[in-house]
Amino acid sequence: MSRNADFERKELERKFRRQVFHSVFITLTLILSGLLFWKLRSLLLPIMVGALLAYLFRPLKDRFQIPWLHHELRVLTLFAFIGLIIFVGISSLRKQMPNERQKLELQVRLKYKLNEKFQQVVGSKDGSNPVGKMIAKEAGPMMDQINHLLDLTPYEVDLFKRYREGHNGEPPINDRYFDYFQANQTTSDYTAMSRDTAAVGSHAKDEALGGEPKTKKASLMEGLSIWMLCPIIFIFLGFDNGQMRRYFIGLVPNRYFELALTVVDELDDAIGAYLRGTLLECALVGLTLAIGFVLIGIPLSVAIAIGVISGLVNAIPFLGTVIGMVIGLGYALIAESVVPILPGLNANDLAIYVVILVVLAHVLDNVLFQPFVLGSAVNLHPLVVVVAIISGSLLMGVWGMLFAIPSVVVVNTAVQTLFKELKAYRII
Amino acid sequence: MSMRKMIAEKVLWETLKRWKKLSPELGRIQFLKTVPIFNELSTWQLKKVGGIVFERTYDVGELIFEEGQPGAALFLIIEGQVSVEILKEKFTAKLAVLEKGAFFGEMALLDESPRSASARVMEPTRTLALYRNDLHRLIQTDPETACQIYKALARIVGDRLRSTNDMVQAEGPAEKIAA
Repeated sequence: MSRNADFERKELERKFRRQVFHSVFITLTLILSGLLFWKLRSLLLPIMVGALLAYLFRPLKDRFQIPWLHHELRVLTLFAFIGLIIFVGISSLRKQMPNERQKLELQVRLKYKLNEKFQQVVGSKDGSNPVGKMIAKEAGPMMDQINHLLDLTPYEVDLFKRYREGHNGEPPINDRYFDYFQANQTTSDYTAMSRDTAAVGSHAKDEALGGEPKTKKASLMEGLSIWMLCPIIFIFLGFDNGQMRRYFIGLVPNRYFELALTVVDELDDAIGAYLRGTLLECALVGLTLAIGFVLIGIPLSVAIAIGVISGLVNAIPFLGTVIGMVIGLGYALIAESVVPILPGLNANDLAIYVVILVVLAHVLDNVLFQPFVLGSAVNLHPLVVVVAIISGSLLMGVWGMLFAIPSVVVVNTAVQTLFKELKAYRII
Repeated sequence: MSMRKMIAEKVLWETLKRWKKLSPELGRIQFLKTVPIFNELSTWQLKKVGGIVFERTYDVGELIFEEGQPGAALFLIIEGQVSVEILKEKFTAKLAVLEKGAFFGEMALLDESPRSASARVMEPTRTLALYRNDLHRLIQTDPETACQIYKALARIVGDRLRSTNDMVQAEGPAEKIAA
């Protein structure tokens, strides 16, 4: 009897020690994780992107089975194949990207066309059109800012003039674009914004572009070296054959073993389905837009570029559609000699077709793509969506906006699954 | 078994022995070979199964699972002793005491029904747990192995059902049971 009592006392003491140890360990882990998280926050994004890619490609890796090939070699073979496809894709895209001369042309065209359209809307400068006057008053400052952004730096002006003569073996710049360039030099401010301020702004821009090339280069190199982490994380997570899951499940107390397995698995299923569904949805929206743009007469390379960007930003609810429309309209404004493939379309109404196309893609996305590929995986309140996007943009800019909704979905699914299973296992 | 497979198995065994003479992986494969559900699997297949099971260690008195909880995994006893018990109105009835090489909780591999009994550890015990969804995933990655496991499982469940029927019939006539 006394031996039993002694054993029970020792067991109680052991239990107390275990609880103290666990509490101290968890607290220290949380503090250290928080500290590391804060100190290494610049690495967070490449790690997240690498992990996300590894997660998205996992089903492909699981299905790619060659019995006689070792796991690591199998994964490397698959990743080499994916890398090759990505490399070929990027190379083809880069060929379609504008070079230095085309960039200058584009900048000049954009500024000229924007001002031309704005002046058409505003009307004559004598103020006879009251609506135009009102628009000029309200939108004038914004137009001025855009103009200052599109201004060529002295170096770029010089470069443009050299390209006009046929610099670097390139054909001389078109007369029409040179006319645009000259017209742009005389573009006046729409508001009473002082020339001094503009000059200061322009000077600041010159400095930023030409004054400190080394700093810019250094920061670019730093960014590139940080992003090198992304493929490394992708490959090493790809090598994982369930060891990480086994390790973390191994840390779970016996009482919660089956619960942990179930929660992790359900979470994995739900989040995987959502992320892969979102990727597919974005790809479908991008493809719809690209096909639509080609049909209304936008060149294939531009249509693909707008489709890719619009497809990517489609992951941001509400804003994705707006960004897609802005890019499409931006191109519609500067587009020249457009020949629509669809019969009966008027090339002068390109902007209207872009609006119709983006609205159509948005409707298709809501009515067909989302229910088909995502089902009811995400039922977030619109307010939650808006708050999440704003918070994401404040915390991490554009990337934050892109990752806001997936993060909310992950947390929401985790909490829901955890509570459901805790109840099923009669723990709460 | 084809000649090619036999040679491949021999090479694998030799490599495993040379590499990690006392490795947990080898021990696990050897143990799995003794369990009825897996004894028809080749070494390659056992290696694959060994890669998806979880090893757990339990103290005396610990519950591996509780009656009424959702079942998620099958447990194999590597060492130790486990008592399978059900809760009656005022007492706990011990149904069986299982030892090294035995397995329990196999119904969890087939459906998500709640556990029909509790499993309590009587001696410090080491188990291997095979999670239902890992076995489901094996259907996609290695259908042959998964089919062999399910086939063995069906045979064992059938045997147990047959022996339960025999026990019930031995206890009394069918009418009595129906009443």
